Amino acid sequence: MTSIGEALGAVNARATMQAALPRPRIGLGSVNINALIAYALVSPPLFVMLLLIFFPAGQAIIRTLFIENETGAIGFSVNNYVNFFSDRIALSNLWFTVWVTVATVVGLFLVCFPIALYLRFAHGVLAAIVQVLALFPLFVPGIILAFALIRFLGPRGMVETALNLVGIQGYTSPYLKPSGIIIGLIWDYIPFTVLVLTAGLRQVEDALIESARDVGAGGWTVFRSIVLPLMDRPVLIVFCLNFISVFGAFTIPYLLGPAAPQMMGVYMQATYGDYLDQARAETQAVITFLCCALIGLLYVRAVTRQRAELS
Amino acid sequence: MRPQKKVSRRALLKGTALGVAGVALAACAAPAAPTTAPAAEATPTAMPLPTPPPAAEGKTAINVYSGSDTNITDWHANVVIPAFETKFPQYDVNIISTRGVAGGIKSIVDRSLAAMEVNADPQAELIEEDPAYFPDSVKAGLWQKMDEATVPNAKNVIEAARVSEFGMPYRGSQVLLAYDSSKLPDAEVPKTFADLIEWVKKNPGQFTYSRPDKGGSGGNFVVRAIYEVTGRDPSKFKPGPADPALIAEFDKAWELLRSIHEFTYGNGSYPSGNNPALQLLANGSVTMIPAWSDQALQALSRGVLPDTVKLAQFADLPMPGGYAMMGMPKNTRNPQGAYDYMNFLLSPEIQESVVRDIGGFPAISWSLLPAELQSQYTSVITDNVPNWPGGEYNAARNKGWYEKVATNLQP
Repeated sequence: MTSIGEALGAVNARATMQAALPRPRIGLGSVNINALIAYALVSPPLFVMLLLIFFPAGQAIIRTLFIENETGAIGFSVNNYVNFFSDRIALSNLWFTVWVTVATVVGLFLVCFPIALYLRFAHGVLAAIVQVLALFPLFVPGIILAFALIRFLGPRGMVETALNLVGIQGYTSPYLKPSGIIIGLIWDYIPFTVLVLTAGLRQVEDALIESARDVGAGGWTVFRSIVLPLMDRPVLIVFCLNFISVFGAFTIPYLLGPAAPQMMGVYMQATYGDYLDQARAETQAVITFLCCALIGLLYVRAVTRQRAELS
Repeated sequence: MRPQKKVSRRALLKGTALGVAGVALAACAAPAAPTTAPAAEATPTAMPLPTPPPAAEGKTAINVYSGSDTNITDWHANVVIPAFETKFPQYDVNIISTRGVAGGIKSIVDRSLAAMEVNADPQAELIEEDPAYFPDSVKAGLWQKMDEATVPNAKNVIEAARVSEFGMPYRGSQVLLAYDSSKLPDAEVPKTFADLIEWVKKNPGQFTYSRPDKGGSGGNFVVRAIYEVTGRDPSKFKPGPADPALIAEFDKAWELLRSIHEFTYGNGSYPSGNNPALQLLANGSVTMIPAWSDQALQALSRGVLPDTVKLAQFADLPMPGGYAMMGMPKNTRNPQGAYDYMNFLLSPEIQESVVRDIGGFPAISWSLLPAELQSQYTSVITDNVPNWPGGEYNAARNKGWYEKVATNLQP
């Protein structure tokens, strides 16, 4: 799940960055041809998405709502959902997912905002090194990252050994704990977050900051009164896309997380693959989908508002 | 300014945002199309369902699928297949791992079943699993029976291993207790399941087992707890539909396991597989785990486990184990290849390698193997290997364990 989320996230990141680039003006006469070309270019991926995602997803939603009753007839029923919301395990997994997702996204901002600010305003060799390091996780597959973290943070791992060397005892490993998932996911999503935040910060023009400095504004004032207000949209975009990807994460929660509670991705897989209970797995999937769709709407609103303002 | 562009882009963005979430949905939504979505989705690396490479020129392919751990697939690839292809140069054997594919080996069974319905090539000659685990496919007539007529070496297979109608056993292993003898003297090793429960409570944090669905070592440990509360009689559990009366008794097993939950490693942080559990034993985080005999012996011989690690078994009733089996889909395109590979697996030469190279026990009688092997491997040789039928019982075991043992919710 991570990788698909990542792939789509990367596409969106690119779209966001492209939106910032100046585009050549198109003459009035060529509008219709351009429109046709645009639709033609967009239609193949749209078609694939309809066929591979929306069609089966629609089928799943229908299957969760139309179920066989005692007489064998198929009728409309919300029983599947009633079962989900009256199942304490299912609810605890859903809340756990929300909780881990929010903690991860907040953690990402705390880690990435300073890095992005540094990369925006610093120049030179050190900045280049920081940038490479910040983007490095982009090139590490999630499964390798998970095993590397087990070695690094796990019991008798590097961190514990190093702490013991300097005489600090009593380290508790985050491996197989909720904090293990959060640390893994934060590391995994740093590059994307830094990329979008840096792109957003580059839209804050130097002239604006320089003129503020000219009238005597200090670093903090510049940040609070100029940079931050101009960053609301990139921040919202990063929040939405990270939220959606983390909510459906699979590899890292599977390998680093506790046996219970589980994140929805792991829970769905277990329900479908291990408990052989397709109806419940589908219900969980629809609920996961709805949670993400809510956040997705926020994202669409943010982006379309930006388009409306630009035009 | 360019309204038409705005519309198309907005639609696309909406689609992408919903799409991210929709993928999750699609995962569980299309089990009827086994070649597409489900496998691609829930896998850690989003791998598609594995397909074999084409056979080399002038050779016929034998595609063997296995969901076993790396030690087994490596053994096929590095030991069995080279020896087989030297003897039978007309074949090109592929061993294809289904580890990391959602649904595992079942996805290959599903694909073969789907292929049978449309009379297509299942791209599978042998599937390493007992077909009885997939009752629907047995009912649909997917499996070809293998016997002495087609696989001559089958006559040597011992009675204890002949537990499946369609599966041909070729190697065995059993779950044992692996413990660090530098921390736990041999004399104090628990002899019965009840002893173990006591020991775990007295030594908090020193015992762990893998989640039952993620590794057979933990799975069979949980099964042993189920045996413990159902009269220590493995013969009650028969393949096929599960007995609801027996399932109802599982609750007592959950109570038993729940009583040691907080005393296991990390207050109930169960590792997610056989190897993660072995790692915790290897790095000294725990003193004792249930482990597969073959994986533990191999890890010992390679030095992955320190040589202070020893193996033991309960004296009252051993933990289950079983024989790995091959099933052959009826619609395979190369039946003779499947028979020849199966026959080769059962030859004394390969059966000896089962013991020497992967720490398993042979499916044929020990008397057909060199005598010195027997004395060397006394700790794994056993005449009592309880056989757990899996299938619906596994689903009940996994679900019950997650909901009543692993959870931190109070009942």
